[in-house]
Amino acid sequence: MKLSELKAGDRAEVTSVAAEPSIRRRLMDLGLVRGTELEVLRFAPLGDPIEISCKGLLLTMRLNEAEGVSVNKLAPAEGCQNGGQGLRKRHRLGRRA
Amino acid sequence: MSTIREIKVALAGNPNAGKSSLFNALTGAHQRVGNFPGVTIEKHEGYLDYRDCRITVVDLPGTYSLTPYSPEEIVTRRYIIDERPDVVVNVVEGTNLERNLLLTVQLMEMEVDLLVALNMMDEVEEKGISIDIDQLEKLFGSHIVPISARNRKGLDDLLDHIIRVSDGRIEIRKNKMTFSSELEKAIEKIAGLLGHERELDGSNHRWLAIKLLENDREIYSQIQKFPVWVKVELVLQEALSECGILHSTDPEALITEDRFAFVRGAMQECVRLPKAQRAALSDYIDMIVLNRVLGLPVFFLVVWAIFQLTFTLGSPIMDALDYAFGLLSDTVAPHLPEGLVRSIFVDGVISGVGSVVVFLPNIVLLFMGLSFLEASGYMARAAFVIDKAMHRFGLHGKSFIPMITGFGCSIPAIMATRTLKSRSDRLATIMTIPFMSCGAKLPVYVLLAGAFFPPAMAANVMFGIYLLGIAVGLWTAWMLKSTVLKSDSEPFVMELPPYRWPTFTSVIFQARMKAVMYLKKAGTLILGAVILIWVSSNFPRSSALEAELARETSRIEASTIAPELKAEQLQQLEARTEAGQLEYSLAGRSGKLLEPLIRPLGFDWRIGIALVTGLAAKEVVVSTLGTIFSIGQIADETSLSEILRHDPAFNQATALSLMVFVLLYIPCVAAVGVMKKEVGAWKPVLLYSGYVLLVAWVASFITYRIALLFG
Repeated sequence: MKLSELKAGDRAEVTSVAAEPSIRRRLMDLGLVRGTELEVLRFAPLGDPIEISCKGLLLTMRLNEAEGVSVNKLAPAEGCQNGGQGLRKRHRLGRRA
Repeated sequence: MSTIREIKVALAGNPNAGKSSLFNALTGAHQRVGNFPGVTIEKHEGYLDYRDCRITVVDLPGTYSLTPYSPEEIVTRRYIIDERPDVVVNVVEGTNLERNLLLTVQLMEMEVDLLVALNMMDEVEEKGISIDIDQLEKLFGSHIVPISARNRKGLDDLLDHIIRVSDGRIEIRKNKMTFSSELEKAIEKIAGLLGHERELDGSNHRWLAIKLLENDREIYSQIQKFPVWVKVELVLQEALSECGILHSTDPEALITEDRFAFVRGAMQECVRLPKAQRAALSDYIDMIVLNRVLGLPVFFLVVWAIFQLTFTLGSPIMDALDYAFGLLSDTVAPHLPEGLVRSIFVDGVISGVGSVVVFLPNIVLLFMGLSFLEASGYMARAAFVIDKAMHRFGLHGKSFIPMITGFGCSIPAIMATRTLKSRSDRLATIMTIPFMSCGAKLPVYVLLAGAFFPPAMAANVMFGIYLLGIAVGLWTAWMLKSTVLKSDSEPFVMELPPYRWPTFTSVIFQARMKAVMYLKKAGTLILGAVILIWVSSNFPRSSALEAELARETSRIEASTIAPELKAEQLQQLEARTEAGQLEYSLAGRSGKLLEPLIRPLGFDWRIGIALVTGLAAKEVVVSTLGTIFSIGQIADETSLSEILRHDPAFNQATALSLMVFVLLYIPCVAAVGVMKKEVGAWKPVLLYSGYVLLVAWVASFITYRIALLFG
C-alpha cells in the first residue's frame, strides 16, 4: 500500500520508493529507504501535506510525493521500540483536540 | 611576528545542523556575503586570525546529500572539488546523528581532509545521550571534535584541530566504506577502467564510479566524453541487472541503503539513547500549532504579527528618517547657490538617497522577524499548514509570507523570497508580489475613491482593488508555473526541525546582512533611477517660462494692491510656473507622447505625466496630480479631490480605471531594482515589466468601458 493511503496514527515499514528522480532521492536522503519504520502523525489543516515521524525525525511531504513510497502497514504500536510511547500518547491528545 | 599561514576551511552539513551559528561564532565581525557563481545562493565568507594562521571560512549551503538535484548540493560538491579547501569541517547535529552522518559518509567517499564538528553537545548532554567519540573516530577515520556553537564551547579545540589537519600533523585515515559485494565489484571494475584514462589522472576514480552507479547526471556527462565510456556503460548495465535480481532494487537505492546501514551500525556501536523518551516540548507545541482546527488561526496570527512588526513598528522610524532627510535638505539648502545647483543637491541627491534609505527600517525589522521564525523552526511548519492553498496556484507553502509582506512594501517582500530554495518557486513568488497592493499605492486610492465615490462606497471600491490585485497575482503565478517555470519544481519533502530558541546575535546578524546587501546591491541602482526620474521631470527647463516668472513677479511686486492679495498672486504664479515647467520637461513630454496610448483608458496627458513620475514611487502620483491639475486654481481654497471632481478630464470611470492601472502597472524603480538583484538578470525583469504594462492596460481598458456603461 502507499504511504499516502495511511491514516493518522498508522505505523508502517517502507518497502520501496519509486518517484521522479529528484523526489525519490530527497525521500531516500531523509531516511525513507527499504526497512525504515515510520508513523503517520497528522495531515495539515487543509488535508494536504502529510507529517510522519521516522528515525526520530519529523518529515513532511505532499500527498502526491507520498504516493511514491510503498509501505507495509504494521500492527498498532504495542510496546514498539524507542519513542513509541511518546508518539502514541501524542496521538491520542492530538485527536481529542 | 612570524609569517602568517593561510588556511581555507569549508563548513558543510545538513540544514539546521548549526553551520551558521558556528560560522558566526568563528568569524565574528569579518564577514562578507556574496553569491556562488551562477546561482542565487548566498555565499558567506569570513576569516579569523588564530595563533599564526589566517583561517578563511566559507559557509556552504545546508544539504542532506551530495547529489546533483538541488543547486545547494551542486554548489557544495563543486566547491569541494574545484576550490579544494584545506580542511572540510562537517558540522553534525549531535542530537540527530543518524541522518547527519549520511552526509559524513558521502564526504568520506570524496576523500577530502575531513574534520567532524559534533555540534549541540549541550543538548546531547541534556537529553542524556551518550556518544563514544573514540569509537566513532575509528569507524569514520576522521577526528571528531565536540562543540557547542551556540555557547561558543569547544571552538579553540576545533581551531587547533583545523590547523593540525592542514599541516598534516593529524592524518586523516581516508577510510573506505564497503558496499554490498555486487556494488563493490562494479565500483572496482569502473574505477579500473577510469584509471586508464589519462585525463582523469588525479581524480578520485572510486568516487566517480560510485556516482555513476548513483545515476549522477553531472558525472555522467563528464565521463561520457571519454572512449572508455563504452566499457563503463556495460559494467553499469550489468550492475543494474544484478542488483535487480539479487536485491530487487537498483544500484542507486542500494547505495543509499548501504550508507544508512553503515551509519546505523556505527550508531549501535557508539551511541546510547536514554531508555525512556518522553514526548518533548516540541511535540506539545506541534499539537497546537499544527492542529487541524487551530493550525490555520495560529498561522494567520503569526503572519499578522510579522506584518505588524514590520510596518506598524517600522512606519514611525520611516517617518523619522523622512523627517531627518527633510531637515537635512533644509539645513543644506541655504548654503548652496539658489537655482539649479541647489535643486540638484536637495531635490536630486538628498531625496534620492533618502528614498533608498527610507526602506531600511522595514527591511531590518522584517528580516529580524523572518530569521526568528526560520531559526525557531516555525517557518517549515507555516509552509506545512498553508501549502495546499498555495500549491493550487503552483506556489510553495513558503511563498505565503513574502506575498503577505507585499501588502506593506514589495522591496522587503521580494528580498524575503530567499527562504524559497527552488529558483522556479522563487521567481513565481517574486512576480506575484508587485500585485499585492503596497502601502505606497494606498494614497492614490484614498484620493481617487474619496473624490469620486460616497464614503460608504469608497471603502468597497478600495477593497475591490485589493482583491483584484490578489487575483491577478495568483493568476500570474499559476500561469508562470504551468508554462515557463514548469520544468524544475522543488520537492516539498522536508524536515520539520525541532523548536529552538534563536540566539539574539543570529537574528541580528541576518538582519544586518540583508540591510548591507540591500544598500550595496540594490541601493546604487535605485539611487540612479530616482535621480534619472528627477532629472527627467526637471529638465529641460523652459527659459521662456522663467523669464515670464521674473517679469510677472516684478509686475506684481510693483503693483499697488494689498499685501495679502500680492502674496496670493505670487503663490499662484509660482504654482503656474511649476506646472508649466513640468509640462515642458522630459517627463511632461513623455506624458504627452503617451496620450494616444492611454486615451482609450480615459487618461489625458496630465495623468500620463503622473504615471511617469509615479515610477519613482507610487505616492508621487498624488503629488504630481496635485501640481499639474492645480493650474489656474485658487490654491488654498480647494482640496485636490475637489479640483479633480470638477475637472472635465475626470469622472468616476476615469478614477476607477486609474486606480486599476496604478495597482497593476510597473512597480516603483526601487522594487524593480531589488527584483533585478534577486532574479539575477535583466531579461526576465524587462519581460515582466512588459507583461505588467499589458495586463494593466487591458484591465484598465475593461474597467473604463464597463464603468462608462454603468456610469
